[in-house]
Amino acid sequence: MSTLSALFAISIFPGGLFLLSSGLLYEWGNRKLLALLQNRVGPRWFQPLADTIKLLAKEEVIPTGTNKFLFIGLPMVALAGGLTAALYVPLAGLAPSASFDGDLIMVFYLLSLLTLCMGLAGTNTVSRFSLIGATRTLTQVFSYEAPFLLALLGVAAAAGSWQISNITAYSGQHWLILTQPLGFLVALIGLMGKLEMPPFDAPEAHTEIVAGALTEYSGRGLAFFHLGKAIELVIGLTLIAAFFLGGLSNPLWFLIKTLALLFIMVVLQALLARLRIDQTVGLWWRYGVLLVLVQWLLMVLL
Amino acid sequence: MDEKKNVVQEVMDGLTNWARVNSPWVLHFNSGSCNGCDIEILATLTPRYDLERLGVRLEASPRHADVLLCTGAVTRQARERLIRIYEQMHEPKFVVAIGSCALSGGVFRGCYNVMNGIEEVIPVDAYIPGCPPRPEAIIDGVVKLLNSLSPANHQITVADRNDKPSTEKAVEE
Repeated sequence: MSTLSALFAISIFPGGLFLLSSGLLYEWGNRKLLALLQNRVGPRWFQPLADTIKLLAKEEVIPTGTNKFLFIGLPMVALAGGLTAALYVPLAGLAPSASFDGDLIMVFYLLSLLTLCMGLAGTNTVSRFSLIGATRTLTQVFSYEAPFLLALLGVAAAAGSWQISNITAYSGQHWLILTQPLGFLVALIGLMGKLEMPPFDAPEAHTEIVAGALTEYSGRGLAFFHLGKAIELVIGLTLIAAFFLGGLSNPLWFLIKTLALLFIMVVLQALLARLRIDQTVGLWWRYGVLLVLVQWLLMVLL
Repeated sequence: MDEKKNVVQEVMDGLTNWARVNSPWVLHFNSGSCNGCDIEILATLTPRYDLERLGVRLEASPRHADVLLCTGAVTRQARERLIRIYEQMHEPKFVVAIGSCALSGGVFRGCYNVMNGIEEVIPVDAYIPGCPPRPEAIIDGVVKLLNSLSPANHQITVADRNDKPSTEKAVEE
């Protein structure tokens, strides 16, 4: 029986099918809302699905000068990291299907795995655009990761536990956005940096470095990276909604919360122009970290 | 058993075909055009016509693109670059020639320094005439190309594609 429920958790809910489809739908929501803000009609609801299927059916070419094993393996590891992380977060406002003490740290690392794999994939190819993109991707990891981590650890410190289920139980009683508004802000913008959304899209700047680290990827590899990013969007929104906006709740209410967060992110995307990579680093280390440290100071004082 | 396998295969083919028709990512290449057609292509991609509602996305990398939007009469200098970009694209790939010059060389036909159109260099799947063609014409051409992919109205078959001059031949010339 336990094997059956584990299989169900991995392949249908919350991992696998549910996660992939919700990832694609959230990505559509992101693109559609952005299009509406830009006075466009926007993509149809199945657009991310069609993109993924098309990429999966496309020819795969391994460019010369790359390590074959890494070229094929990295997208799989990236996607697997996202899928695994989903088992430990309260997707759809329901209790996570697996949990142990310290799983918050593991989820952080699994989410960073995608970005690290993208960086490695970029350095693995000989194209100069991928190299520049990979350098920028890895630089960006070192800039947003620390403030993002500190912001979410503020919640963990308030709850007095490293375990996601304990933290959500605590945040269910206190809306932490009221007591830790600065941490919420940094966490939300940190998620945008993680997903390389517009103000922080220097690593894949289409207008200057072709497609960044993924320039040489096509077919299955590109589809896996896209899926991984869509999943990371869902997991990130779920984590922030569960930590700052009142913990576990019924799925409909939780959906409204995550969509509200997504809407804030879309408005910021439509509003802000791309930052240079040095401006990104400066923003996070000068203001992001400072804001979180002020937050921590307030927590200690009050 | 054999019949069942065919059904699965058919469903898979239908699915990939549906995905291909609904998600054409385009790459834009100027092979020596006067920029008139290129400006019309850019106008096509602006919010006014919003091609994202058809799933079109402008990609900068030939590795990601499905459709090559190509303008210009192909100067001798651009020929090798055009061939290289075409070969960097992954199958299935389609080429759309945009503008009079891309179709036949246009006003430059017969000049010593042009190849008289894109189809002299790489196989072309759709032709959009005009000098320059309006954005509506470009959208119409791309939609017609995509509709021809569905098996119901097969206008471009694999055999047709093979009849056209291959890139290898063009390199030998």
